[in-house]
Amino acid sequence: MSIAPSDIIIGILSTTLQLSPFYLFAGMGEIVSEKSGVANLGLEGIMLISLVATFIADYVTLNPWIALLAALGVAAGIGAFFALTAIQLRMDQIASGLAIYLFGLGISFVVFNVVYPSGLTPNYVGLQPIVANYDKIPYVGVIFLKQNIMAYVSIILVVATALFLSRTSLGLRVRAVGENPKAADNMGVNVNKVRFLATLFGAIMFGVSGFYFAGNFVPGFQTDVIAGRGFIVLAMIYFANWKPYRTLFAALSFNIVYAAQNEYVSLSGFGVASVSTLFNMLPYVFLLALIPVFGRRARPPKFLLKPYRKG
Amino acid sequence: MLGILAGLAVVVYAGGNIEVALSSLFLNPITLSGGTQQIFVRFVLFYTMGMGVGLALKAGLWNIGAQGQLLIGMVMVFVVYTFLAFLPWPVLYVAMILGAALGGLLWIAVPTILRVRFGANEIVVTILLNVVAINFAFYMLSGPIKSAGTALGFPHSVELPAQFQIPSIVSSPPITYAVPATIAIGIILYLLVERTSFRIKANTVGESLETARFAGISIPRVMALTMLAAGALAGLAGATYLMGYRYELDIGSFSTNYGLVAIICALVGRKHMLGIGLASFFFAYMTIGAESMALSANVPTYVEFAMEGIMMLGILLGNYLTERKFVV
Repeated sequence: MSIAPSDIIIGILSTTLQLSPFYLFAGMGEIVSEKSGVANLGLEGIMLISLVATFIADYVTLNPWIALLAALGVAAGIGAFFALTAIQLRMDQIASGLAIYLFGLGISFVVFNVVYPSGLTPNYVGLQPIVANYDKIPYVGVIFLKQNIMAYVSIILVVATALFLSRTSLGLRVRAVGENPKAADNMGVNVNKVRFLATLFGAIMFGVSGFYFAGNFVPGFQTDVIAGRGFIVLAMIYFANWKPYRTLFAALSFNIVYAAQNEYVSLSGFGVASVSTLFNMLPYVFLLALIPVFGRRARPPKFLLKPYRKG
Repeated sequence: MLGILAGLAVVVYAGGNIEVALSSLFLNPITLSGGTQQIFVRFVLFYTMGMGVGLALKAGLWNIGAQGQLLIGMVMVFVVYTFLAFLPWPVLYVAMILGAALGGLLWIAVPTILRVRFGANEIVVTILLNVVAINFAFYMLSGPIKSAGTALGFPHSVELPAQFQIPSIVSSPPITYAVPATIAIGIILYLLVERTSFRIKANTVGESLETARFAGISIPRVMALTMLAAGALAGLAGATYLMGYRYELDIGSFSTNYGLVAIICALVGRKHMLGIGLASFFFAYMTIGAESMALSANVPTYVEFAMEGIMMLGILLGNYLTERKFVV
């Protein structure tokens, strides 16, 4: 083993930046959705379906942007259905979300296996690094220029979401219907329409996460391939107290711990899986340990999970 | 009905034969060999976990982590079996069951403490712990409780010898004593919870913390009691599943979603300790039906998950529509 310490650090930072956008897209989507009073626990199901849509569309068209559109399309469709059940029909959001998750878990597998009976994912190309020969540039290259354009979009999205919620009138309405729908209604805001739009936006962002997952996490599709990573987003925005910049911080710190243990496990070359799985627990335990520190001050939107009926 | 129709649509899409599918959905669970056994295995799983989820829900708390507690319960069965092997047979037998319940209880103690002491959201913590539980179980399985017989391939535990299996009342189809035991627990909980002032206390905590405070109800006590009981029940479900049906632990036991189905059972059963039993039986029947339908119509087995999701949505929808008198 003759890997320079600087290479290890570069590797960790590069992985952190590569993985974080997945959490950021979904995180911003869930923040906007929950700020309006609707928690979508089906996020991982939507991601799985978008992931399959990405693989199929990319294989057929060979165009990553059409694949992205396909991912967004199916995500929006399921998101609209979820919004219908949670907002118009006032079904229990948690139950409906979990049912959507189970549905996504199963249907993603079914569709994938009908399209590819061999169970193997066709070659997925996806988006390229923004600078083709990034490894020519020391440090900066592997850390920053290796990432694809969507990684940068995710950072812009964080800023945009923060500005949207705090500075725009629609953002204000989103927060109002989550904090006090009655008052918002009295001021002439169409509560359920705003909630519907916010939930739809959230679902579309889960679609982007599913698309991003395809090129950056694992090379092929398997059952339950996201393996709880989608649900982690819920924990992240909780620590972040529903604030976009803090979510960015939560995502980065979670992934730095993840990347570090990953690097450590692969460098130390544990033959047996047993010890490495203990290390795999680290990032989650790290998040858990933060709860008594940050979770204390977390204050969810007042009318989160509560359907609104006019009058 | 909605759910069944949509489920059929999936089967047709996946290239299945609709006639075979229909008959297998409704008839196979009873006619197929092993079908009845499977129904009761799932009934026990859903009912035991569902009661816990329902209990916590009465106090307004969401235990999304039944799946994790179930896994820890299963791991604990083998931890006790491996490390307390010096105990004489009947003691060890009971210790394995109690150990599973204790494991579930300890696993839920984390979100309980964080909730009661720090006010941390239990949904977030229980979800997080599900992921941790899978990793932890995998570690235990590939190390401390691994069977010596698995040098290569996927790790699994040893198989429990016959004297550690829960005996059957009827041999064919094999229905174990876990079934009456679960129903007994259901009745006991019904008497303890639904027929005493505890129900009102829990409901008050669930409805409004402020009212509960005014009424002089000890909120931390109610919350801790219901949550811990939920964890213990889910752990116990792990013991009955392993000792009454599967007999050995492998990674195939990890990727199930029984914990989530239990949540839906608790909701459809309206959090009522006996209602959850009915809902559990219904879901056990339907999910086995869905599974055998997938098998006999020659479609990928994971259709089952999709159909479970669709059925749940359909049933929830139906439930809510009738409740709100949109239809009938």
